[in-house]
Amino acid sequence: MLRLSHLRKTYGNLVAVDDVSLEVRKGEVFGLLGPNGAGKSTTIGMCVGLISPDSGSVVIEGAGDPTQDSVRQHLGVAPQALAIYDDLTGAENLSLFGRLYGLGGRSLGDRVHRVLDLVGLLPRASDRAGVYSGGMKRRLNLAAALIHEPPLLLLDEPTAGVDPQSRNNILDTVRDLAKAGKTIIYTTHYMEEAQRLCDRIGIIDKGRLLCVGTVAELVNSHGGKSVVRVDRSHKHERIETDDPLREISRVLSASESTDPVTGVHIDKPDLESVFLSLTGRSLRD
Amino acid sequence: MGLFAGIRAMWAIAWTDVRLLLRDRATAFFTFVFPVIFAIFFGLVFGGDAKKGKIEIAIVQHDQSMLAGEFVKNLMTMEGFVATMAPSEEEGERLVREGRASACVIIPQGFDKGIETLFATGKGPQIPVLVDPSRPGENGLLQGRLTEQSFAMMAKSFSQPDRLKKQLQQARDSIAHSKDIDLQRKLMFGTLFQNIETFVNDANKPGEDGKAAVSDDIMSKFSPMQIEMKDVRKQRNGPTNAYEVSLPQGIVWGLMGCVTAFVSTLARDRQRGTLVRLRSAPVTRWHIIGGKAIAGFLSCMLVQWLLIAIFATFFHVRVPNPSMLVVATVFSACAFVGVMMFLAVLGRSGEGSAGFGRSVILIMALIGGGTLPVFFMPAFMKPVSMASPFKWAVDAIEGATWRGYNMQQMTFPLAVLAGIAIGGFVLGSMLFRRAMRE
Repeated sequence: MLRLSHLRKTYGNLVAVDDVSLEVRKGEVFGLLGPNGAGKSTTIGMCVGLISPDSGSVVIEGAGDPTQDSVRQHLGVAPQALAIYDDLTGAENLSLFGRLYGLGGRSLGDRVHRVLDLVGLLPRASDRAGVYSGGMKRRLNLAAALIHEPPLLLLDEPTAGVDPQSRNNILDTVRDLAKAGKTIIYTTHYMEEAQRLCDRIGIIDKGRLLCVGTVAELVNSHGGKSVVRVDRSHKHERIETDDPLREISRVLSASESTDPVTGVHIDKPDLESVFLSLTGRSLRD
Repeated sequence: MGLFAGIRAMWAIAWTDVRLLLRDRATAFFTFVFPVIFAIFFGLVFGGDAKKGKIEIAIVQHDQSMLAGEFVKNLMTMEGFVATMAPSEEEGERLVREGRASACVIIPQGFDKGIETLFATGKGPQIPVLVDPSRPGENGLLQGRLTEQSFAMMAKSFSQPDRLKKQLQQARDSIAHSKDIDLQRKLMFGTLFQNIETFVNDANKPGEDGKAAVSDDIMSKFSPMQIEMKDVRKQRNGPTNAYEVSLPQGIVWGLMGCVTAFVSTLARDRQRGTLVRLRSAPVTRWHIIGGKAIAGFLSCMLVQWLLIAIFATFFHVRVPNPSMLVVATVFSACAFVGVMMFLAVLGRSGEGSAGFGRSVILIMALIGGGTLPVFFMPAFMKPVSMASPFKWAVDAIEGATWRGYNMQQMTFPLAVLAGIAIGGFVLGSMLFRRAMRE
């Protein structure tokens, strides 16, 4: 559906995106996971044709280069910055963006209604966006990307700074869109969201795409061993192992009466561990 | 994107921007309301329109007789008119040419003789009136009032038997000495004049109610003066009231409000991400710029014509050449759209552009006649003002109103405004393209 080949973008001495190549398959949710400033938004900008790469190419299968106006008809973008007008109502915002995609008349009205319903803003359709909560604005931002029903969605940190209720609504909406067959690129620095939503994930840091795969593949390849933490009366132990259950069994059978085990915890490797192992830093650093 | 779809996209962007401007109360106030208040305030400060609702006329009095003095006195107190004495016909004509008076009434030498020989010659004195042909309504009213005044004079003659007897005696003498009238007719006229004299004597005898038997109304059926209206070609080289000066100033502030509002709108679009949304739609950057430009143009036109309509309706600002004024406002709006396009993308950041734009616009407005009209500025400021697009907008609007420019005189300010429009649009588009790439 979308192919990025050796994309590179620099701003002066800063390398924002460095030789990124990947392919997003039709109908999958592809997560781009990385900390702030990793190059996710720049990559999205190049996918939409808003930023010209210094080198490399972006191709949308069956459409072409997104720098061409007609190709952008196939894309829906929810930028990280809230791209809505506070002084327009929710419905007016969507009508405007719909018109830019050539929609009009009754079909535009129907789509505005449907999309507002999808993101749970129909009861507030006539309210100005300026009075919406942060989460509602995010949902409207997502709705604006859906108004022309594009096959490919690029969602750049769509849950940034929202309340849990709106986050759940957005994640549910994205899941529904995926079920409806949309291809979605989802950037985030929230590991949980990537794990919950994405079929495949690419981890990006300092402009470089470090690895791509399913969650299981990434954890198996880069997550390292599970960690068993054993709490005793007088000390705490940390044991790295490939088989945590066997390790717990061993610890409990060898337990001494003078210093009995008071607690056992298993830390299984996850995307955080993958990122830590690949970069030496935490995802939230 | 096809032509029709492109136009629809531009219109959608333009309509959104206009709507955003109108919904932002503070911006709408400073764009549409403040300029009106400003222009009214400065109109009052500059002298207002003390003779509001009255027609100004000049009077040149060549005849210093008592009758002429009486007639002038009547003219000076005519209701609905403000009369001033002009020392000479040339001066009176100049006042009309400059639009400072609607008409100039000339009381010729021999006015009293004309009145006295009215019955002998059959014609009263000739009263030339120099008028501005562009004010047919006012001229018609003046003609009617002058005729009324002449009737009043006539009526007064009948109520002054001595004056009338003198007039009748002059008429009798004139007929008696005439060689063109035969004896039979001379006798007939003699009998007529005798009867008139008897009638006037009887008419002025008080009746039982103490009033004269014949009232002024009955006497005012005669036409004793020849009022001759002469057109004077007007030279509009001076304002007739202070609002004609303050209107262009108000327009300057209105245009400033529009430019500032749209510089801020585009800056906000850049800053807040809505520009990203617009750019990610299948529209070209020309559609986006075009939409913004249309919005700016519509707002500039709206504020200009709102001010013109208010001042023409309520403050007696003349619009002698509406088509020229349309041209002037269209060119001004285009020029300020150019300025807006340039300033909106001059800074690297949206906020920087908005702040810088506001400062530049304010300075340009001040030097271009925003607070003090350029013709009131000290000599050293006048060349400086030429750097301001506001100066040229004011020049064009004044040219189409009280300055009364012809097309040739309008060419230069319009050309400068067109140059600003094209330059601003081209430079703005280039910078916008650069900003988009970043």
